[in-house]
Amino acid sequence: MYDDDIIAAIATGYAVAAIGIVRVSGRGSLEILEKIFTKKPPYEHRKIHYGHITDSNGEVIDEVLVSVFKAPNSYTGEDSFEISCHGGLSVLNFVLERVFEAGARMAQPGEFTKRAFLNGKIDLSQAEAVEKIISSKSKRALFIAQRQLAGKFSSRIEQIREKILFLMAENEVIIDHPEEDLSFVETKEKVNMLVDIKKQLKSILKSSQYGDMIFEGVVLAIIGKPNVGKSSLLNILTGTSRSIVTDIPGTTRDVVSETFNIKGIPCTILDTAGIRETNDVIENIGVQRSKKALKEADIVIAMFDASNGLDERDVRIINYAVKYSNKVVGVVNKTDIKKAKFRLPFDKVVEVSCKNEAGIDKLEDTIADLVINLENDSDIVSLNANQKDSLKKGINICDKLIEDFQRGVDPALIGVDFISLADSLDDIVGKISNEDMLDTMFKKFCIGK
Amino acid sequence: MIYPKRYDVIVIGGGHAGCEAALISARLGVKTLMLTIFLDSIGAMSCNPAIGGLAKGHLVKEVDVFGGEMARNIDETGLQFKILNKSKGPAVWSSRAQADMTAYKLRMKYVLEHQENLDIKQETVDEIVAENGKVIGVKTHLGNEYLCDSIVVTTGTFMKGKIFIGLNEYRAGRAWEPPSEKLSDSLRALGLRVSRLKTGTTPRLDARTIDFDALIVQPGDDEPVPFSFKTTKFNRPNMPCYLAYTNETTHKIILQNLDQSPLYSGMVESVGPRYCPSIEDKVVKFFEKKQHQIFLEPQDENSSEIYADGLHTSLGYEVQLKFLRSMKGLEKVEIMRPGYAIEYDFVDPTQLKHTLEVKNVRGLFLAGQINGTSGYEEAASQGIIAGINAAFYIQKKEPFIVNRNEAYTGVLIDDLVTKGTKEPYRMFTSRAEYRLILREDNTHLRLAKKAFDAGLMSKEQYLLIDEQKKKIEETIKKLKTTYVFPNDRVNKKLLELGSEIIKTKTDLAKLMRRTEFNYDKLRELAVGLEDIEPFIKQEVEIDLKYEGYLNLQKQQIEKFKKYEDMRIPEGFDYNLVGGLSNEVKGKLMEIRPTSIGQAGRIPGVTPAAVAILVVHLKKVNDKRIRNTA
Repeated sequence: MYDDDIIAAIATGYAVAAIGIVRVSGRGSLEILEKIFTKKPPYEHRKIHYGHITDSNGEVIDEVLVSVFKAPNSYTGEDSFEISCHGGLSVLNFVLERVFEAGARMAQPGEFTKRAFLNGKIDLSQAEAVEKIISSKSKRALFIAQRQLAGKFSSRIEQIREKILFLMAENEVIIDHPEEDLSFVETKEKVNMLVDIKKQLKSILKSSQYGDMIFEGVVLAIIGKPNVGKSSLLNILTGTSRSIVTDIPGTTRDVVSETFNIKGIPCTILDTAGIRETNDVIENIGVQRSKKALKEADIVIAMFDASNGLDERDVRIINYAVKYSNKVVGVVNKTDIKKAKFRLPFDKVVEVSCKNEAGIDKLEDTIADLVINLENDSDIVSLNANQKDSLKKGINICDKLIEDFQRGVDPALIGVDFISLADSLDDIVGKISNEDMLDTMFKKFCIGK
Repeated sequence: MIYPKRYDVIVIGGGHAGCEAALISARLGVKTLMLTIFLDSIGAMSCNPAIGGLAKGHLVKEVDVFGGEMARNIDETGLQFKILNKSKGPAVWSSRAQADMTAYKLRMKYVLEHQENLDIKQETVDEIVAENGKVIGVKTHLGNEYLCDSIVVTTGTFMKGKIFIGLNEYRAGRAWEPPSEKLSDSLRALGLRVSRLKTGTTPRLDARTIDFDALIVQPGDDEPVPFSFKTTKFNRPNMPCYLAYTNETTHKIILQNLDQSPLYSGMVESVGPRYCPSIEDKVVKFFEKKQHQIFLEPQDENSSEIYADGLHTSLGYEVQLKFLRSMKGLEKVEIMRPGYAIEYDFVDPTQLKHTLEVKNVRGLFLAGQINGTSGYEEAASQGIIAGINAAFYIQKKEPFIVNRNEAYTGVLIDDLVTKGTKEPYRMFTSRAEYRLILREDNTHLRLAKKAFDAGLMSKEQYLLIDEQKKKIEETIKKLKTTYVFPNDRVNKKLLELGSEIIKTKTDLAKLMRRTEFNYDKLRELAVGLEDIEPFIKQEVEIDLKYEGYLNLQKQQIEKFKKYEDMRIPEGFDYNLVGGLSNEVKGKLMEIRPTSIGQAGRIPGVTPAAVAILVVHLKKVNDKRIRNTA
């Protein structure tokens, strides 16, 4: 279908690359640019604009170059722009999510090309190709979606779907069958159900962050007291990996610094700056900063010195690690000097010698195993930016509905909000049609005047 | 014999679809003949003695604006009138009236008999005669052949109708009226897919044997409101209905005798409506419910017959009597006519166009239960659309198509022709995407222009409605541009009116959006605001209070229309479109959607398939333009 609403997508694909482009097109798209870009208009046609993409709080996401193309002289024939970001899929995704937040939606497969064709920008022979693109890409999207829903994850989705259907059906019974002798769920209970749906949506959103790890890279943190060998380990891990993909000096998001591979899994290390400083992270830069790193990391490498026993600072690090992270790998370094005489309270402990690069292979295996276990974990999902956007919208509409019920809003209006909820979660729980709602209605409620 | 008089339109059937089809066709000036099996049953109510109800009230009012008779007929023969959902928002208010069903059908027959251009004959049609894909006439059981150019078939439950009471079965179209045994074979021969559906009705009880004192009285509204916008003199009685309850003994009797139910013994295999289950079904499926409501409704002001709504059953006579007498107030009840289940032939409605014309047979229109629907109102609304289009077909006028964004009638027909149905289709308000806009209260406002442009409404009527519309718009504009200021008088008054004070200059429209406000309260606040008629007040209030949501739906309608406007040419070859799966292709070729919008509503047609279609259509168009240039 052809709308001129604003669409966006990552144009450079999902492979790991040095730079990436987010493409945005549609009527009014330059207003979106104005919202998210530090450089304000005028945006001249076919010019490149330098600035930063910021989040809704004004925090910088990335330093970028934006090329602007105005209708009708653009690829799609609409007002459009392309954001060249520093690589790293997480950065690209942050930028894309920001564009959605500002009002765009995910482009359908082949949609840019389709618009180009419908606006007369490409000719008939190219249009033949568009049909093929749409059909092949949608097949792939379908394949991915089906694979995802086939797992245990689908039962969670099913529960959310059933709750929404029940609430919708009940609302429609109240409207369409006012004379039936039925007992309805109390407002309080409905609110609870919505709170629960919201909780589930939030939890899926959170699970998807683990999912992202597999597709977009694992975030590691290395903690340990000074001179335990954090910097050496970092150098080995990044150095032994064949592809240091990018180094972005001056990036204000301190979470992203270096990307490398461990057994083919893309990884980034948190707070490299902190590690490379010779001083102790915990003591000098502050407890807050290490706590933050611990919380944000998918996997925490806690390092200890085999040549010395555990001291008070080590114990503190152990406590932090146990408290703030659930995926910790204990690393005992300097085994070339002395064998450790202590036991660490972590599931995974690896002994290494950074000096001899001994045990590194085992460490990498351990990390990879952890990641793969995460992947097998039923709670882990991988969602595209559009699905994440859907979840966020769904969460907001849940809030609206909770308010509706608490204020005692007219059921006809509540009905509209339920339809928005169903529509927004379309690509999460599957399409909820009126027929689905009616099925639930007749199953759950005895109607028959 | 070949009948000497030639007709433009022949309507087969005299039920709620047939009456509207025949009347409108004649009213539009084409020579019309109604053929029906039994003249005394014209306009008969086979089931409940009521018109309207949720979503159905909408349909009745739409039929009224399109020049139909149902609304006028119930306004003249209703026994009590009620607006349902009055405590909820105006979008879901719904009118319903209990009917004197004898008076109803007599008046309908009278109206038909006094309609110019309309002949009525009692004959059973056995065959539809077509030549070269076009209808040319019908053959009846008396051996008569009537020639015509267009036919509207409205057979209700009569085609191969079969009634079940307990383990007994009878051939009948409606309680002991003869069925139409041959017509559906003729439709099959024309290439139509025909299958079976089932429905049921309740026992009729003798009022003299009911202890009404033991039941709960249910009167109509004290201030009844008529259905038709044309009704001026309105003075109808307010006869009560009564509420009774089944109990655990009733349920036990039913459960013990399920072997006597044709539905449970496997005699009837066709699908019945889920929204109108038999009492057997209710007791079995909702085992945990200790009681079910039974509404006892008068059928006729001058008769003892009482309709027992909620008791659809096909159990045997003896069981019916036994479970009825287990209920409080019905201990001594006598059955006058038993309840029964009925199975009948219907035509898969996806074989129809939006005009209700059969896709493969020019001039052949189907309306009502034959299309898989249920309900008098659903029948009437199809009847009028089929009748209008049959007449326009004769007159070579543009088809009259009602869209989903315009009326419930449009939703109903689009659902039928796009999705088909597996059970008797009933209208629900949830089926209408634009429910907040398609309200009962504004039916004449939203449809007057369409009706007038198509010649279905007189100029006088149209101008009156247009006047109302203008008045509503003016008033809204005025409220948006009239301000009150945060002075002592205003704020004191606001508190008096149970509202909150204002701190800045505020327009009246904004105040109206406060829950506790209405037009009369605004008049107390703003001096000089004129008094207006109650209907205008109501519409202004609705428009302003719902404004945010209404605007949202208006935007959705704009989007909807864009896709409806992308037409798919007739005879479009889906085999030429690359990238469509065979399954999708099959569906598209079967339904043959007229627009991209409709294509997207066909179950199983994915958004990606629709996107491919859009691109392909544009390609075809470009080629055509280039070739003609």
